Amino acid sequence: MDVSNILATHAAKFQSVTVEKDTPLEIDAGLLLASDPNPIEEETYKENLEDHLQSLARDGAQALISALFSLPTKQSPHGPLAILPRPVFQLPRAKPLPKPKPQTKWEKFAAAKGIQHKVRDKKIWDEEKQDWVNRWGRNGKNREVEEQWIHEVPLNADVDYDPRKVARDERKERIAKNEKKHQQNIARSGTASRDERKSEIEKTLATTRISTASMGKFDKRLEGEKKVRGVKRKCHYSQNLKLSQFDPNEASVESEKKASLDLLSKMDSDKNKMRREPRTEEGDLNVRKAVKFASKGRGGIALGREMSGGRGRGGGRGRGGRGGRGRS
Amino acid sequence: MRPLTEEESKAVFTKLANYIGKNLVHLIDRPDEPYCFRLHRDRVYYVSESSMRLGISIARPNLVSLGTCFGKFSKSGKFKLHITSLDYVAQYAKYKIWIKPNGEMPFLYGNHVVKAHLGRITEDTPEHQGVVVFSMKDIPLGFGVTARSTVDTRKLDPTAIIVFHQADVGEYLRDEDTLF
Repeated sequence: MDVSNILATHAAKFQSVTVEKDTPLEIDAGLLLASDPNPIEEETYKENLEDHLQSLARDGAQALISALFSLPTKQSPHGPLAILPRPVFQLPRAKPLPKPKPQTKWEKFAAAKGIQHKVRDKKIWDEEKQDWVNRWGRNGKNREVEEQWIHEVPLNADVDYDPRKVARDERKERIAKNEKKHQQNIARSGTASRDERKSEIEKTLATTRISTASMGKFDKRLEGEKKVRGVKRKCHYSQNLKLSQFDPNEASVESEKKASLDLLSKMDSDKNKMRREPRTEEGDLNVRKAVKFASKGRGGIALGREMSGGRGRGGGRGRGGRGGRGRS
Repeated sequence: MRPLTEEESKAVFTKLANYIGKNLVHLIDRPDEPYCFRLHRDRVYYVSESSMRLGISIARPNLVSLGTCFGKFSKSGKFKLHITSLDYVAQYAKYKIWIKPNGEMPFLYGNHVVKAHLGRITEDTPEHQGVVVFSMKDIPLGFGVTARSTVDTRKLDPTAIIVFHQADVGEYLRDEDTLF
């Protein structure tokens, strides 16, 4: 029986699966990458570019896929999965290298003096407890003094000398000092220019100015405080709380009318609060001063009560006047 | 053209309230037709809603005027009442002053009102109060601010100023090009 024919056809069928090149393709299965280091054949390239590229791509894909099939597999509910090896090809870094952190003041000093950095353990040996305790933090050694049950008081100490508080204050001071140094280091390392910092501060200020309950509406204006430019105001009576510079022109006149009337009543009440006693015919008599003098500084109400025999509020003119209701 | 902001409204209302007091409500809350205040190129216009809505469709550079011009905002943000608002101010004025026929011309040329020209004045007008000036035939001529209260004017000599001139109808001719 001659099977050579069958074998030949079988081999021909599998011939396309193997890729023959002068230099074998480099396969990086981890990245699913096949690279072809062979030089381009000029003839086929010039003859038909599309076909050439397609055959190149086909060869690469074929080599990659046959490499994948040679990998160890594991079974999964979706079928066998190839276990990829670690990538070999070194991809270039996408982002630039991070800049080195600027040295802190201490680091500079230590480098200049040749001081070696010693790693301090978090734990420290406690002779009394015969145990390792935390240097700081929970049950830290740094709070040992303030937490001991008996304290030594210096001879010339005050009556209210609290050794516990003194020790605690000292510790807090150290923390604050360290924090201050930390901030200074940050500020020193900061590359922000003066203008940038200024604009940042202004931005923060603008934010804080509208961060009160009334969105800065009833805040006291400081002297020399500038009006904030370019910040959108909030609409007073638009339903959807849309942010815009000015109220819309097309809003209903009814709501506008209501807002105007509200404003009027508000202005009216403001005026009432500030209203002074109208100048009377007495001319040069300073009523406020006279009342103050006559009542020996206790005010008009007290004077009136005195004069009407305890039946208060008689002829007393209030100080600076809440009176004068009649005028409108 | 846009509605007034709250600060602007406050400025306008305080100025108007100086002349018409609580009657300002009648300007805002009208029974016949809703009216509103609109700001257009520093000027404040008192417009009915319908004409305001018509005016919306006109581009800003093309819109010359609409409704009644009540006054203008100065560059420093103060509101100045124009004579064009006289119709409304005279209608609701709280304190009025009538001047004699021989005092009309001096006032219409922009002078203050002196006591000699005083015909009548509303009782108990306080000092520095906005008043509307009428001729003896009850024609509004303008408005001003009292220099003295009604009681004090009695003691004054005839040449003393009793009302400081603010605006008069003569401005329709004198300031024709800048008024509206």
